Amino acid sequence: MTLLVAALLLLAALSGLLVVLSRDPRRQIFAMAGNGLVLGLLFLALQAPDVALSEIAVGTAVTPLLFLAALAAIRMDRAKR
Amino acid sequence: MSTLSPGALPISALPWLVAAWLFAVGLYGIVTSRHCVHLVGCLTVCQSATYVLLLGLGYVREAGPPVFYDHPPGTPAVDPVVQALVLTDIVVGAAVTALLLAIAIQVQRRRGTLDPQALRPLRPPPPSAE
Repeated sequence: MTLLVAALLLLAALSGLLVVLSRDPRRQIFAMAGNGLVLGLLFLALQAPDVALSEIAVGTAVTPLLFLAALAAIRMDRAKR
Repeated sequence: MSTLSPGALPISALPWLVAAWLFAVGLYGIVTSRHCVHLVGCLTVCQSATYVLLLGLGYVREAGPPVFYDHPPGTPAVDPVVQALVLTDIVVGAAVTALLLAIAIQVQRRRGTLDPQALRPLRPPPPSAE
């Protein structure tokens, strides 16, 4: 059990690094969704099922969709110029 | 931390180290970012450090989730207060992300760039942007 928690903690650290190091925002969205999924599994292993549910819903679905919408608006503005 | 595996850090120090690592990495990304949307993504990494810190603080080994529907009260459970805090933190984080992305879109509309190095505060926008 603690081995699972330790492995997921290290995986969360790694995926956070991946989010920062992917400089292209379009690629960063995928890294961010993966980070949200890893964090949700970590919270599930830390005996917090409700937090895991909301982290998977928000971190894996809502936040990347917000970023996609923002990037689409920015690209439309750049095409208009 | 009752038993230490030889030659390894105690397992209870790992959440603190991971939280510090996530915060430092996110801060590094914010400082060196060249795109405002990327900067907001790095801020979410900084926030995930607080989730890991709080849940690592309330974690009790060999304890179940703080749901007493099907076991009697008094069963060992992890701390429910920090879980409520993390739940609030996640929702606030989503709201902050949405607000900052809206600001980034407005910056792109008014200045035509999202590079923080190219943005000068308190300067009228170039005439080509109008």
